[in-house]
Amino acid sequence: MKLPLNSIKQFSECKLDLEKILNNISTKIGAIEGYTKYSEIYEGIYIAQIVKKEQHENADKLAVYEITIGENENIQVVAGDISLREGDKVAYIKPGYIVPSTYGSSQEIKIKAVNMRGITSNGMLCSEKELNIGSNHTQVLVLDTDANVGETFGKYFDFDDVVIDIENKALTNRGDLFGIIGLARELSAAQGIAFESPPWYKNDVIDIDFGNDKLPIKVNNRISNLCPRYMCVTIDNVKIDKSPVWLQSLLLRSGFKPINNIVDIINYIAILTGQPLHAFDYDKLVKGDPNSNNKAHLTVRLANDGEKIHTLDNALIELTENNLIIADSTNPIAIAGVIGGIDTQIDENTTKVIIESATFDRFSIRKSSMELGIFTEAVTRYTRGQDPNYCLPNLLKTISLIKELTQGDIASDLVDIYPNPKPSEVITIDINKLNIHLGINLSREDISKILKDLEYQINENSKEIEFLTVTPPKFRTDLYIQEDIYEDIARVYGYENIVSRLPLIEIKPTTLNKNLHLKKEIRNILSNSGCNEVNTYSFTSSDLIQKSNQDPNLAYHIKNSLSPELSLMRVSLLSSLLEKAQLNTAQNISPFCIYEFNIPHQKGYTDNFALPKEQWHLSMFFSSNENLLEGNPYYQIKRYFEKIVNTLKIPQLRYDLISESTQLELPIWIKNILPTFNKDSAVLIKYFKDDKDIILGVMGNIDSNVKKNFKLPQYCAGLEINIEELSKLLFKNYKYIPISKYPSIWQDITFIVSKDTKYQDIVNTVKQLIDSKNRHCKVECLDIYQKETETKNITLRVTIEHNTKTLTYKEFEKIKRKLETKINSV
Amino acid sequence: MIKELEKISLEIEKDLKDLDIPQLKKKYLSKDGTLQKLFKNIKDVKPNQKAEYGKTLNTLKVIIEEKINDSQREKSEVEDNKKIDSTAPFDINSSKEKRPHILDLKGSSHPLMQELDKMLDIFQRMGFNILESRQIDDDFHMFESLNFPKGHPARDMYDTFWTEEGFVLPAHTSTMQNRALRRFGPPPIRVVLPGRCFRNEATDASHEHTFYQIEGIYVDKGVSMGHMQAVIKEYLSQYLETELEVKMQPAYFPFTEPDIEFVIGCPFCKKVGCCVCGYTGWIELMGCGMIHPNVLSSGGIDPQEYSGFAWGVGLDRLTLIRKGIKDIRKLRDGDINFLRQF
Repeated sequence: MKLPLNSIKQFSECKLDLEKILNNISTKIGAIEGYTKYSEIYEGIYIAQIVKKEQHENADKLAVYEITIGENENIQVVAGDISLREGDKVAYIKPGYIVPSTYGSSQEIKIKAVNMRGITSNGMLCSEKELNIGSNHTQVLVLDTDANVGETFGKYFDFDDVVIDIENKALTNRGDLFGIIGLARELSAAQGIAFESPPWYKNDVIDIDFGNDKLPIKVNNRISNLCPRYMCVTIDNVKIDKSPVWLQSLLLRSGFKPINNIVDIINYIAILTGQPLHAFDYDKLVKGDPNSNNKAHLTVRLANDGEKIHTLDNALIELTENNLIIADSTNPIAIAGVIGGIDTQIDENTTKVIIESATFDRFSIRKSSMELGIFTEAVTRYTRGQDPNYCLPNLLKTISLIKELTQGDIASDLVDIYPNPKPSEVITIDINKLNIHLGINLSREDISKILKDLEYQINENSKEIEFLTVTPPKFRTDLYIQEDIYEDIARVYGYENIVSRLPLIEIKPTTLNKNLHLKKEIRNILSNSGCNEVNTYSFTSSDLIQKSNQDPNLAYHIKNSLSPELSLMRVSLLSSLLEKAQLNTAQNISPFCIYEFNIPHQKGYTDNFALPKEQWHLSMFFSSNENLLEGNPYYQIKRYFEKIVNTLKIPQLRYDLISESTQLELPIWIKNILPTFNKDSAVLIKYFKDDKDIILGVMGNIDSNVKKNFKLPQYCAGLEINIEELSKLLFKNYKYIPISKYPSIWQDITFIVSKDTKYQDIVNTVKQLIDSKNRHCKVECLDIYQKETETKNITLRVTIEHNTKTLTYKEFEKIKRKLETKINSV
Repeated sequence: MIKELEKISLEIEKDLKDLDIPQLKKKYLSKDGTLQKLFKNIKDVKPNQKAEYGKTLNTLKVIIEEKINDSQREKSEVEDNKKIDSTAPFDINSSKEKRPHILDLKGSSHPLMQELDKMLDIFQRMGFNILESRQIDDDFHMFESLNFPKGHPARDMYDTFWTEEGFVLPAHTSTMQNRALRRFGPPPIRVVLPGRCFRNEATDASHEHTFYQIEGIYVDKGVSMGHMQAVIKEYLSQYLETELEVKMQPAYFPFTEPDIEFVIGCPFCKKVGCCVCGYTGWIELMGCGMIHPNVLSSGGIDPQEYSGFAWGVGLDRLTLIRKGIKDIRKLRDGDINFLRQF
């Protein structure tokens, strides 16, 4: 919202010290985007009069003008416009100053005295376009005859002003602050000065004579829930012309383009009050209406699907039944509250106009605007909320301005369709609650004063001391409950006056977030084990999912994605890690291990509230393209995983080869990632609890096609596990096992077993045989060696300790023989 | 000379079938292999034939290398298809020094997570619970429960992603307010809600569609704006490790009343003006405000009895500032050289 500072002078007595105003706006109204000093833009431009005109001797298309700016010496200027006459008043830029239309841009043009085909031109005469006040760039702008020669253009055109741009976002609920009157009120109250709206704005009686109805309008509001109030009137004998300078100037400073006096007056009212109005050409309306019977018909209704309208910006728009429109008896002529139609546009031949003053449902307007992609000043204002009670004063003010500036006459009755007048809200403020809520200490009088300055009505009759009953001003569409009013009070009183005070709390400990705690522990373990945590997008593509051998049909689709590469929600974390691994591999980084904690989503996997089930996962990926490690890469990722589970003291887990596991009844996310892995060298990680297998996740060697797809080295492996399942396995309290005071004894034993024998089975057998109440063993694998095709040798270092004695070598030999008999026969 | 190449080419064709990989390597690619010799001879080739000679030679080299690569891949695919003993600590016949082990590399946690941990630690010390935010949510939690009626223009302030299935990707962690009020109520409620958020905006050095936010809510009897200012100031001072000057400015959010933009005096230049604060001396750090009574009610809390405040702070910008990272995209591009610095 652009606020030309000078414009508030006519409404408020508040002092106009720029620094103070900027501070008041940003601390009490809304954030400031910036401000523009117009006087700087128009520096060095003066009103000049042409004293003498001569044809340029060397160029047909140039004229040499002698001009005066009221100084002793006349100035010689060469111009391309040869149509000017002696006596014309023009805007002249002195050498050394900047052309306003280029001001602040990267291609600023600074005027210099130049030689134009042998004749020196000491400056420039400006067109509308160069002055940035219109679009004509072929002719020098001829100013009104009453312009004062020698005066600055800034003064002549009311441009000695500062325009402050306030962020629209901060005013989202404040339709009234999209008008200068509203901002003047706030600024006034911010300085502790009572504000009074101009009498015409408060007027709710019809004080103009509507004598005749010679150009009547038949209005049919078919949908009053979306159009609470519709008013209009016909005005005849208008003379379309340019607006006076003061009006053009204000429009320009407010970011509007001057068009003609009728349109400008209407925009002026919107700038003052926030309420957009609209004007139709009466004759065009009647002529264009197939069923007019020589009368003007206006219908407020929803469009039919497929109806079309040619809008003012010359676009052909196809409407839907979501769009509220104004139609004649048959066809759309405007998109209500959004944009007018070109067929009833006011132009230089217009003599009869219909002025519309109405309010529309803000949500309906927003929907049309979003759906049709049309964003206008009217949309900005209507969607912030406009009160129907102001349709009348705004229309009356418009009529009086039109009469004054275009000599028009009222030519119809005042149409006013307002079936359900909006009642005034009465809100009672609990003063004690307000003071507690804001952390301040204001009296009833302090509060009354602030609210009165903002034009609230205070119910003075109420005898209450602890309460204050108020009627908010009608232009406020954002006040329903007392808390809404607290904000007005706090803002105007000043947030800087609120004293910081830390709350006192009971020292009850908070509950530990177990997931978060576990993630933190694992993060510590992994980052201390040479692994790097990544943070990758949740967005992915169908292509990436397929490259990982996973199912893109499981992914949620983003309706308004930024690009096809970011159009799906990922179904696993691992595929994101594969993508990052590819990038790092291409950079010749090796070896590396990356990991991520995050939440993948799968369609059909929902929680109790029918929302996508969200569980935290850990995914890891290891890669090495050097001859650093031997054997299947499964064992390397397992090494990292066991580093985690051993540190966390998680009980023994089972690792079942994918190719040896049933895939029935697996959770969706597990089923989905299995194909990313090599089924003969990757496992499902399981534990047995409450009579069933719980699956923690999958880990192992990556499928060879996936490796190829991501151009990964042969030696790479990954895992993805469910952190929430893992957290259930954490020991609450791990108990110490006493260490024997007798020395332990150890020996290396080699077992020759069938090649399919599982290492863990052997270890279990050893432990079963040795462990008893007083005897414990530790087993360490020294070697696994296969020479023969059917057998392999496993060498274990077995260490035994006894709680009550020192074991003898003989006793160990006995155990060893027992073990060999038992295991070698397996 | 070209003729000679034709002869060699025929010979290679035959050798590809007959020779094994080490033989191929030795005969053609080794230091004194055939191709190496031919490459050296290029200086004797007639100038007008040099280009063709070199090109042909290169093609032959590629053919041989491809054959070698293919055979290596096949070999490892055969190995891949061998069932392993998943319970063993290492593979059969692996030499002792090349068995799996934790490698001595520079590990790291992610810079964002380091900052998050730091913040959460402060909140835990101040007596706040932690509940992590969702990443896919519904309209009710993202908008309606936060006093954004359907069609409200304030919804436009959040460039929200929607899924075709009708879910919403949270554009702020406030999406968790309703759940937090219900889970931790009745008051006193003190909880922070960290999580990943999404906004539909094009990415550049200072904008990301994916970012991290931490929401906080505090509800109790008699909670005031003075408390809000003090709590936020206290935690920011702890986090930035310096005493801060703060101010509150008006803003607009449907789910708070009053709505505040929380501004701190720039701690990096002592308010003199620097690139972090855009030479203004002040940084607009986050939105906050007193929780709207409708939001409390929809979370099952009686607004007559209780009041509270809420805030939401973005983590990415603070991380960039604190770690001196110039491009926000580095946070999520997975570059290990970047990560290993942390």
